[in-house]
Amino acid sequence: MAIVRPEMKSYIWLQTTDGSIQEVEEEVAMFCPMICREVLQTGMGSSKNYAIKLPQRVNPAVLGLILDYCRFHQLPGHSNKELKTYDEKFIRLDTKNLCELTSAADSLQLRPLVDLTSRALARIIEGKTPEEIRETFHLPDDLTEEEKLEPLRNMTDDPRIRLLNRLYARKRKELKEREKVKNVEVAEEHMDKRSVDDLLSFINGGDGDSKCVRSAKNKKKNRRRKDQPRNSASNNDNENREKETESLNSAHYNGAVEDVSSSNRALMLQDSSSATLLSNLDFDDADIDDGLDPALKEEIDREVEDFARRLNSVWPERMQEIYALGQERRLLQIHGNSSVARYTGKRNGSSMNVAHLFYRKLILIVFL
Amino acid sequence: MEMDIDYISNLPEHITDKILSCLSLRDAVRTSILSRKWRYKWISLPQLVFDNQSLLISSQDQTLIRNKLINIVDHVLLLHSGPIQKFKLSHRDLQGVNDIDRWILFLSRGSLKEFILEIWKGHRYKLPASLYSCQKLIHLEIFNCMIRPPTPFNGFKNLKSLDLQHITMEQDVFDNLISSCTLLERLTLMNFDGFSQLNIHAPYLLFFDIGGVFEDVNFNATNNLAIVSIGLYATAGYDQNPALGSTGNMIKFFAPLPRIQRLEVQSFFLKYLAAGKVPERLPTPCIELNYLSFRINFCDRAESLGALCILRSSPNLQELEILVRPDDQAVDGRDARISEEYFHNCPFNQLQLVKLVGISYAKQELNFVNFLLANSPVLEKMTIKPAAAIGGCELLKELLRFRRASVRAEIIYLDP
Repeated sequence: MAIVRPEMKSYIWLQTTDGSIQEVEEEVAMFCPMICREVLQTGMGSSKNYAIKLPQRVNPAVLGLILDYCRFHQLPGHSNKELKTYDEKFIRLDTKNLCELTSAADSLQLRPLVDLTSRALARIIEGKTPEEIRETFHLPDDLTEEEKLEPLRNMTDDPRIRLLNRLYARKRKELKEREKVKNVEVAEEHMDKRSVDDLLSFINGGDGDSKCVRSAKNKKKNRRRKDQPRNSASNNDNENREKETESLNSAHYNGAVEDVSSSNRALMLQDSSSATLLSNLDFDDADIDDGLDPALKEEIDREVEDFARRLNSVWPERMQEIYALGQERRLLQIHGNSSVARYTGKRNGSSMNVAHLFYRKLILIVFL
Repeated sequence: MEMDIDYISNLPEHITDKILSCLSLRDAVRTSILSRKWRYKWISLPQLVFDNQSLLISSQDQTLIRNKLINIVDHVLLLHSGPIQKFKLSHRDLQGVNDIDRWILFLSRGSLKEFILEIWKGHRYKLPASLYSCQKLIHLEIFNCMIRPPTPFNGFKNLKSLDLQHITMEQDVFDNLISSCTLLERLTLMNFDGFSQLNIHAPYLLFFDIGGVFEDVNFNATNNLAIVSIGLYATAGYDQNPALGSTGNMIKFFAPLPRIQRLEVQSFFLKYLAAGKVPERLPTPCIELNYLSFRINFCDRAESLGALCILRSSPNLQELEILVRPDDQAVDGRDARISEEYFHNCPFNQLQLVKLVGISYAKQELNFVNFLLANSPVLEKMTIKPAAAIGGCELLKELLRFRRASVRAEIIYLDP
């Protein structure tokens, strides 16, 4: 196998999954551990008929790139600086090629190239907003509006956060509205299957939970409806208020926790105490919202409106900015959050869903 | 359309893991809101680094920053799933708060291999007992902490690298820690208090870097030690050490270091070495020593003799760096002079590079330069950087006159 004269160079035959076969200088091909192993263990690659079949992830275009890389790197005597300059130029590729290259290099076990391209991909992600990353890599924007509009926990008395939350609540309400229209349609389809009594109790705002054939989500809706007859106007109003209450809930809760925190932290770690505290708070929240002076409410609405107008740029960016402006968080808020989750979990009757929500909220809280 | 295919999300998991581990923690965690496929990718990151780069908190309010930091670490640890191999906490705005205890306790239940804790503000943070149960640790790096393991503590059995800076610990704790971490290969120790005897019993130790105030260094079973850098930051009290007896520090220090390859003698440590009796050369030469750097006050005769002793005992030295410390106390000129015979019979047959920094026009210094040039037949380059521009011309004139054993030697004069 030794190369005596240049014209006697040895070649290795490689075949990509599209069926095309090419010969590659032995020393270049052998730079890939996967090919090297094939040659040494199976003796393949010595002729066109015994070409080494490359993994599926290596398409012909990417193979060209990889061989360029190997051709340069297998030559001895490059200084570190030369290697670095070469690598830097080499990875100036679009994200598609970079991803394909990473994947192909991985399948050929070409570790240094995998490291190089992974770092390049990381650099592209670095410091970008989620929107930018999604755009750059064509990631599907498949988290629902609802998920994105989860209210941020209001950790301070920062009015901007409060306004943001109210705005979110409003958006969520709109969403719910749309959803509800759909649900009503669905519900109507089912109605004729139920008894008249069921229907009556449903319309009169009776507890539908036991008999409804609906998902957990809809059950929650029903629960809300029970105080009031299904009058669309008042129902909306109620829901709106409840939404806002939810968004304020955490703020209030945290405020209270701060008071307690100095007294005894250990106490707070116990489920029971925080749960009790929470239910009290829930109650308080309702009071706060209900007690709003109509004039004040109007003013707040105006404020929210105004705030919304100012927020015409990308959402998460704004959220970041606002969060960057600072707000206070206490250690206890984790416990706070977890008990909120547990609490809502009971209400929803769907702990999986709650765990998911909880998780997402934490993400939003921590890093946005 | 081909352009819209999401390639990155379909990469193998170990590659997306690799990409995530290249990102700062902040960016890594933020990937969870990109799309459903990215939702939970980050949570198995094996390395968690909380420092100023990975956590951007723009605020002036210290309490707020602190609370936010604590909150972030709490959340990340709560959400994380899978083994944590590396945990680094080094935020400039974080003091030694109690919350760290809780995190360490949590980490100690896993298989933590690398733990780095740097407290940049406030008092020394007392490391919790749970840390000492992290028996999988390979690398431990501590800054501004108090180390007091529960007794009995049997060491970190897998620890290979230990870096302690600005720490407080008792003498017996230190001795026990070093000798019980039996696999220790690297030890860095900077600015410590609570102990003053450096008793180093470490059979696998290769690298030893120390800087601080101490009274004595005792190597024991350090036969593999190859790279040593020692800086003694205080000068008092080494001349009259009663424990020295007849041997002196020089012999005691080098005897347990048969494999030494690189040695840096910093600050006042040469003074320590020169305390007691200084032999003309060591009983056993440092055969493998190829790099030597020392800081010296040429006006101190003992130091000059000490330096000469090391040089004479290093036949295979290739690179030498001499940093001149300005005279810190008035030493009688007559005392400092070393008679010519000290410079005889000392060929540096391997010495190629010499660097002299901070020299002046003093006679003792010039003698030394002359000595090196005259005894280094393969010298390639001598770089000289004087302490001050004044007298530079006179210095050059003298330098030009010196005979050089190496025909290839070039002298490079750098402006101060």
